[in-house]
Amino acid sequence: MAEIRPPAEVRYADELAAVAGADTAARPPGWKLSPRAVETYVMGSEAPVGGVAITPKYVGDRGLVQVAIATLASDRALMLIGEPGTAKSWLAEHLAAAISGTSALVVQGTAGTSEEHVKYSWNYAMLLADGPSERALVPSPVLRAMREGQCVRFEEVTRTTSEIQDSLISLLSEKQIAIPELGVQVAAQRGFNLIATANTRDRGVNEMSSALKRRFNFVTVPVVADLEQELAIVTRREAELRGDYQVGMAPPAELARVLVTMFQELRAGVTKDGKTKVKAPTSTLSTAEAISVLFQSGILAHGFGTGAVGAGELARTLVGALAKDGPDDLVVLREYAETVARTRPGTWKQLHAAVRDATGGKKRKTDEP
Amino acid sequence: MTRRPDLATLAAVRILPVRHHSPRVSQVVRAELDRIDPDVVLVEGPSDAGDLLSVLVDDDTRPPVAILGYRTDGPSQSVVWPFASYSPEYVALRWAHEHGVRAELIDLDIGTALAIAEEDHDAEDPDTGTDTDTDTDTGSEADTGSEADTGSEAEAEAEAEADTDTDTDTDTDTDTDTGSEAEADPAAAASADDDFDSLDDAIASSAHMASFDEVWDAWLESPSHAAADLNRALLAYAGLLAARGRRSHRTRHRDAVMARHILATVAAGTPPSRIVVIVGAAHAAAFLAGDVDLDLADDLPAPLPCARTLIPYSFPRLSEQLGYGAGNRAPRYYQRAHDAGCDFERASLETLIELGETLRLRGFAVSLADTIEAWRLAVTLAGMRGKPAPGLDEARQAAIATMGRGEAGPIDAALAPAAVGRAIGRVASRLGQGPLQAEFWREVRARRLPERDDPEDLTLSMVDDVQVDTSVFLHRLRLADVPYATFRGAGRDRGAARGRGDDDAGGLDALSRVREGWTAQWTPATDVALVEKVVLGDGLEEVASRLLLDRLAAARGTGEAADVLLEAVVAGCPAVVARALAACDAAAAHDDDLPSLARACAALSALTSYGTSRAHTGGDAAIATLCVTTFERAVLRLPGAAAVDDAGAAAVKTALRALHEVALAQPRVAGHGRDAWLAAARDTADAFDVHPEIAGLAAGLLYLAQALDDAAVATAVSLRLSPAIDPAAGAAYLAGFLEVNALVVVKSRPVVAALDAYLATLDGETFPDVLPVLRRAFAALGATERRYLLENVIAVRGLGAQAGAAAAVVAATDRAAVEALAGDLAGALDDLDDLL
Ligand SMILES: Nc1ncnc2c1ncn2[C@@H]1O[C@H](COP(=O)(O)OP(=O)(O)OP(=O)(O)O)[C@@H](O)[C@H]1O
Ligand SMILES: [Mg+2]
Repeated sequence: MAEIRPPAEVRYADELAAVAGADTAARPPGWKLSPRAVETYVMGSEAPVGGVAITPKYVGDRGLVQVAIATLASDRALMLIGEPGTAKSWLAEHLAAAISGTSALVVQGTAGTSEEHVKYSWNYAMLLADGPSERALVPSPVLRAMREGQCVRFEEVTRTTSEIQDSLISLLSEKQIAIPELGVQVAAQRGFNLIATANTRDRGVNEMSSALKRRFNFVTVPVVADLEQELAIVTRREAELRGDYQVGMAPPAELARVLVTMFQELRAGVTKDGKTKVKAPTSTLSTAEAISVLFQSGILAHGFGTGAVGAGELARTLVGALAKDGPDDLVVLREYAETVARTRPGTWKQLHAAVRDATGGKKRKTDEP
Repeated sequence: MTRRPDLATLAAVRILPVRHHSPRVSQVVRAELDRIDPDVVLVEGPSDAGDLLSVLVDDDTRPPVAILGYRTDGPSQSVVWPFASYSPEYVALRWAHEHGVRAELIDLDIGTALAIAEEDHDAEDPDTGTDTDTDTDTGSEADTGSEADTGSEAEAEAEAEADTDTDTDTDTDTDTDTGSEAEADPAAAASADDDFDSLDDAIASSAHMASFDEVWDAWLESPSHAAADLNRALLAYAGLLAARGRRSHRTRHRDAVMARHILATVAAGTPPSRIVVIVGAAHAAAFLAGDVDLDLADDLPAPLPCARTLIPYSFPRLSEQLGYGAGNRAPRYYQRAHDAGCDFERASLETLIELGETLRLRGFAVSLADTIEAWRLAVTLAGMRGKPAPGLDEARQAAIATMGRGEAGPIDAALAPAAVGRAIGRVASRLGQGPLQAEFWREVRARRLPERDDPEDLTLSMVDDVQVDTSVFLHRLRLADVPYATFRGAGRDRGAARGRGDDDAGGLDALSRVREGWTAQWTPATDVALVEKVVLGDGLEEVASRLLLDRLAAARGTGEAADVLLEAVVAGCPAVVARALAACDAAAAHDDDLPSLARACAALSALTSYGTSRAHTGGDAAIATLCVTTFERAVLRLPGAAAVDDAGAAAVKTALRALHEVALAQPRVAGHGRDAWLAAARDTADAFDVHPEIAGLAAGLLYLAQALDDAAVATAVSLRLSPAIDPAAGAAYLAGFLEVNALVVVKSRPVVAALDAYLATLDGETFPDVLPVLRRAFAALGATERRYLLENVIAVRGLGAQAGAAAAVVAATDRAAVEALAGDLAGALDDLDDLL
């Protein structure tokens, strides 16, 4: 059975091969593609390359992607920062796949991330039996990336302890890892670099030491503000997910538009016509969240519904997604339905009714004594 | 098309197409001039400004400067033609000067350009006066109205070089259509401007670049070109625009005017090959194609009477002339490139280095290593984009990733001075400034006022004579409509009072102010206005006086005349003071309008106390007399004036307050006048045929002045609030009464008792009717007032038992009130501090 979600280099192997085949430009040492070709792979191309259509992976500002690629070709590591769900990890994965041919080298940053995750650990059975040896060494993804001259990803780097961040400083400036037990220094091969991601909702970025900051170039991945652009991302990614998982149903275009419009209005705190203020929820209404809501609505329709994705499924999924951060956000949703959705035609009106049903009948009058 | 022979001659002339404000084109123009070594250089520019050329190219003139043409027949309207030192026109004129070659300007004359600007303006919005900025087809910046171009003017000259004019204005409306609407109307009736923008956008997006500016820099500015290649590129772009129907009617008129000038030069004996013509690419393309209708030159509006001069211009304003593609977005950057012989790479590097320094000075942790890293990144980016060297966009993006740690905000803020710059130009002194300009600059320098195109705050102390004079100077500028300083408020704290308009600058408040905050910024519009206003007088005092006298002539009633009087005092215009006093005197005699009289009275009373000169204080006998007579007249008008409807009540209430204040505070009025006022106020308070709110207010004022005692008020209140009276009228009376000083009122137990009795009489049916008015009346009560009211209600009703609980509530609210009070107190002490 095929993997549900194969890594980018597997899934887009044909695109990568086509881009590589047509790539005549100079490649930085250790790179599988030239910077321009990496850009083509990430941004997609209007005309097919070598007979293969190159789909856009990241949809948004080309300049931002170019800065990211140019950074990885330099001495400094790349830090992708931004709100949750803005495709930081997604972009990092595709960059690694295109530059190094693998996106598999990844360290997940948490409060529990230890030195061993960043450098190396031991297979203790072998260590006890044979003493320190190359065979008993369990290299971290970072160490493997250094040896192979590849890109390693470091997710949510700001969630790690300051000790880990400190060891990153020396690792990134010396570009080598010492293994005193074996009496060796592993020096990074050319092509090695690190792509970190960090979430601006976490406090972390400001608290990073300036010494560590100086090892990175920073690229802010913005929240998509343009309706059509975000709609394109959401529908494309939802369709891909449906294909990957072989589950769910295609939502009507109008439903996706209603959803994305609603997300953008709730984020902005005001309707698109600038006339009605709406309360912003505490949950993050990211593009990723919109994709997942739309996808899950399809699953709901598929499994339990009428066989078509509509306002009802959307409302129930939305309630599920918004209830995560407590009941307040449900009030926000309800208010939006009453003040905005109700006044608009078609799917909007249906959404209003569906939200009312899903949040429990008629709205309670709160201003009554 | 069959060519007429003279049009063939046109194509035989050495035509150099340009784009305004382009260092690269300038470089090529200079090289071409060296190579051709012509006998005559003809340059696009107002043909009647030839006498200014020798000053323009003078060594002591430092661009950016602009030719300013302005009307001399009344309306304030002008057109500017700005030049940077990297503008091809300027470079060509300099070349001619250096080589002793004849140079002429060949475009529309200024008077015609102004006439066209006015026609276009009228066509755009026939209803409004001459107060909005317009874009014209004159190859220049036109502005109508004295606000001049302080920056709002998004020049819509959309073309390779200023000439493919868009005739509509450049509202930067951002469409906020919701998705569904956008879908319903996808084409959205794209206007011609959109069409133009969309061409540039299409070029940019097909080049995978962020803006057309970037494309222009990458393709035309930074690489060096052979003259023929650059010309071909410019003509090709002009051709693209023309193919889109972007050549307006007006542009063709100008083609004709310039073509005639060129042909006349040939006819006068200079061979075509010895003539170099420097014009925008769109005109050049028309000449070369022989696509010119010479007859159009006769089809132009009659020129308006006008004059011209040179004024300093500034980089920030130059950067606002949008629509040229690049060339203007970053004047300092282009200046650097120009100074380095069109080395854009060096300009980018210098910009980055300065950016790093600026950030360090602003307290950002930016190391030299960051700057070096930024440069490296910029170089790699340029490589990826197929550019020979980093341009402004690479520098900016690299700076954000390195020095900015991903944040664009601080980088953009620091980039502005490095890339746009703040330089302002200088006009050689031998041109001689206009008298107003001369006065302005003399005062600004002597008083060390801001001279830069960058807002700066200053605070003037009104106890210092020198600073009072500065205030007079600034007020004169304000009254003369010369954009320079904006009144910021009388407070000390910056920003808090910011945004107070000119409306608050003068008037009664100005007399008693302890200090004045201003924000000053020189812009070219300052000089534009100073030049234009010369028709009104040779000095600022004269101009301000002239405008005030116009206002005085148009004043209706004593109040408006007194407003002018106050302005005249604030701006130190003694001639107007005398005339305005006379006007007040004359108007008061048959002014029946109480609000107008009272407003005048308040002004005169203040002037009686503070004097009519800002430099020294002290009374003025004539004013005191006038104040007394105006007061008396106003008091006489009171009974008749108080019978008004709801709409008129507010103005009368204001008048009552003003008169009351004068009666009690102005010693010249005291005694007889005071008694007369109290009597009139009492009549008003007792009257039932006046607006009840006014009666209530009168009663409140009298009570406050202790001219009515508790018992009298209690009686009046119960009378007014008795069931026989319309409850709405009762509530209105109450509102007027409480408006005066709610605290004093609610503290009086008898008064509260009367109130309480009234409220108790309201039944379920009448209550809803009076509720809104009551709400309004009581809403104005603060925490302290509420507390007293509550206490008194408790006492009146004998609710001793529940008083304990109520007291707890009251105590809690009280604390907040005390804290609020403490804030006020601190403010008052501050003021006191300043006085001592
Ligand atoms: N601009 C975009 N272009 C393409 N896909 C996008 C875009 N924005 C969001 N997505 C999609 O949304 C999802 C984003 O998820 P991802 O995990 O990359 O976000 P993230 O920024 O790493 O969030 P977090 O901070 O929570 O880790 C991916 O499926 C991605 O395809
Ligand atoms: Mg992530």
